[in-house]
Amino acid sequence: MNNGKPKIGIYELTGCAGDALLIVDCEMELLDIFTAADIQSFAMAKSDNIDGELDVALVEGSVTTEKEISELKDIRERAKIVVAFGNCAAHGGIQARFDDKEWQENLKKVYGNQKFTHTKPVRSKPIDEFVKVDFYLPGCPVSKEQFLHFLTRMLKGNPPEHYPTPVCVTCKYNENDCLLNNGKLCLGPLTADGCGSVCPNHNIPCFGCWGPVENANAIAELHLLKEKGFSVEEIKKRMANFAGTKLADAIKQL
Amino acid sequence: MKTISIDHLTRVEGNGGITATIDGKTVTEVKFNVFEGPRLIERLTVGRTPEEDVSLAPRICAICSVSHKNAVLRAMEDALDVNVSKKIIYSRELMHMGEMIESHSLHTFLLALPDFLGYPNAIAMAGDFEFEAKIGLEMKNYGNHIMKVYNGRWIHGENAVIGGFGQLPTKEDLTWIKSRALQFMPFVNKTVALFCGLDYPDIPEDDTLYVCCEPGNNEYGFWGDEILLSTGEKYSKYDYPKVTNEYTVSHSFCKRSRYNGRPFSVGALARVNNLGDRLEGQAGEMYRKYFNDRWKKNPLFHAAAQALEIMYCFERIPQLVDLILADREEPALIPYTTKEGTGTGLVEAPRGTLIHHYAIKNGLVDHSDIITPTAMNAEEIERYCHIAAQKLLDEGKEDEIRARMDIVVRAFDPCISCSAHSVEIERVPETAWKDRLLELSAKKAPFFVGVGTEDRSDDRAGLELAARLKEMGIADVYTEKDIDSIRSIQEQRPIIFLDAVNMGESPGKITLIPVDHVLRNVNNSHKFTPFIVGALNGAQIKNSYVLGIQPGTTDFGTEMSSSVKEAVQKVVSALTN
Ligand code: SF4
Ligand code: SF4
Repeated sequence: MNNGKPKIGIYELTGCAGDALLIVDCEMELLDIFTAADIQSFAMAKSDNIDGELDVALVEGSVTTEKEISELKDIRERAKIVVAFGNCAAHGGIQARFDDKEWQENLKKVYGNQKFTHTKPVRSKPIDEFVKVDFYLPGCPVSKEQFLHFLTRMLKGNPPEHYPTPVCVTCKYNENDCLLNNGKLCLGPLTADGCGSVCPNHNIPCFGCWGPVENANAIAELHLLKEKGFSVEEIKKRMANFAGTKLADAIKQL
Repeated sequence: MKTISIDHLTRVEGNGGITATIDGKTVTEVKFNVFEGPRLIERLTVGRTPEEDVSLAPRICAICSVSHKNAVLRAMEDALDVNVSKKIIYSRELMHMGEMIESHSLHTFLLALPDFLGYPNAIAMAGDFEFEAKIGLEMKNYGNHIMKVYNGRWIHGENAVIGGFGQLPTKEDLTWIKSRALQFMPFVNKTVALFCGLDYPDIPEDDTLYVCCEPGNNEYGFWGDEILLSTGEKYSKYDYPKVTNEYTVSHSFCKRSRYNGRPFSVGALARVNNLGDRLEGQAGEMYRKYFNDRWKKNPLFHAAAQALEIMYCFERIPQLVDLILADREEPALIPYTTKEGTGTGLVEAPRGTLIHHYAIKNGLVDHSDIITPTAMNAEEIERYCHIAAQKLLDEGKEDEIRARMDIVVRAFDPCISCSAHSVEIERVPETAWKDRLLELSAKKAPFFVGVGTEDRSDDRAGLELAARLKEMGIADVYTEKDIDSIRSIQEQRPIIFLDAVNMGESPGKITLIPVDHVLRNVNNSHKFTPFIVGALNGAQIKNSYVLGIQPGTTDFGTEMSSSVKEAVQKVVSALTN
């Protein structure tokens, strides 16, 4: 702690930079955040960055190069708490859908036989495949409410808790007409909550961008979807878009 | 050799770095690296439904997510023959303006302004320039608000879909957007005056080719079905590969583009250069007041162009709201059926032209091609950084190189997720050329091309060297007379030009420089430039080098000076041992 202010570092591996951008997007709270916390490193927002000891490291993006593996390990060594910040860090992101063989083939399709001299690419993986992760904030991108809630709890020294329910729960609170009744494949029952059911609120089925919910009731949810006429294959294929490397576990639950 | 490297370019979206290599008095190489790994997004869209792709493809970039959304929608609707109503098009334009305002105000006030005012970041700047920081944040917030109203959330919202929107905003939401735009106008005026009036440094400046979408109807705008070049040439969107000619490089996961072997700039400055005289209203007045020839060749004017576009958006938004509200009856969504087809969508993202192209077969995406603005600007970022580094080195301001390159990169506002963070400056030893030459030859036998004039003493060096290499039995040695054979080289083998190059060094100094970089900076002892440009295509240029020997004298005569002779001998020994 520095003058009682926690030292925070925000790091970006491979992703769309949406989670870091979301912090910059806390326009009205940004000055407060920079006042309440000692932001040691945040490459998107400042150039006087220091790589030292940290209380909390927010890591966005998945690991896709060898350089990132060593960067991530260095962050872990310096930080008391490491947070997987966003879907890419937590589940590997949409880029983690390919298995090793598919990844090799597709890399070749995009870059031909190009040899890279600056760093070696590796198949995309979430950060917990390389280091211990203390907290997960999924979402593509994370929600502002979830982030600010998380941050204020951290700043006060009260670790935040998980969101244990699927999107459907909030969707019901929001009194939406269930899209499944209209024959649309909505992943709300199988997706972790945190977005406020924003897509169903707009008549758009959930694509599962928070990743799979850790929920004992998954079987019942799956049966519900099957009852509505969707095949397990179809559901898995749709879930695979955002579940990353956590799809296998999620499917085991089913 | 010395390398200046900014290893983590700060205040740009994403992950990358830039390295400048200095050999004596010459900046031999500048490389813009993207460290961020490959995400293979195009490949991820293959085998998915068009609807899934509308949700997946924008994940390329958060700060351009609405542009990606509009590009993928335009492409898919083109492929599936979906004709949306005027109201939907206006609604998408309004949503697009939200992103323009958000992105431009973030870049101008919070990322670029601290550079020009000399602060490490916006927070540090905010102490002395509270008003500017606040206006920047307020505008950004307003832009995000528009996107949220339309898309459910401002980053990766899903409300815009093929055929229209899941749900359209209420009249109250729209009138609020309109009245807020009107309230902003006095601040928008100040924004334009601030950024158009800034004293931008004149390093780097150079002639530039600008590319943007042609909105049609002689209007300003952010999309169209044609590509417009600053030369006046136009291409149909379906012919985009003729303009972009993508290829990969070994030092980055971000692909590159060139038009007729020439790199080009896209973005707000390109749009203002190509379309600025179409601006009307106050934006038009401001354009006529501030635009001048320096805007045509100095990338630092990007911030000024962005400020003009902010004004354009704030003037257009009330008009759009009126147009949308006049058409209350049109449905939010029109039905369509999936069919086979191909489609292309062109939009102007805040950072420049964005192209999505898809082929649909059996209800699924069979092929996809996405070309991002940062991929197109990557070559320009290297070119301008190189010009700046050489110019500052020439002026004896080596210690300013790092900071200036950082500012140049930032001027392009690259969102590296478009596939950068760092400037590295490296000074290499006298003998660096040798290691590099051997490294190049070890991979694939190069073609050697001797260049020069027989009767101008040291200017013979290249021809002499070529003759000696031939004597030593090295294959594939040409001279500039064999121009046609050189032009038809298809193989991916390095082409090494042997030439006397005036680098301002002592006679006999040898340097190995990528051709690209010779084209940009070094004053040659003869007309090297047009000869090369006409002969090579973009990929060849990237694979070509000049082995330069500093001449002593290039007066008439057939005898070379002793130090140049020695240099020729050094190269011959290096290659034949
Ligand atoms: S619309 Fe989707 S999220 Fe909402 S209740 Fe139905 S299944 Fe759940
Ligand atoms: S509803 Fe589903 S797809 Fe939409 S934001 Fe929430 S988790 Fe993501």
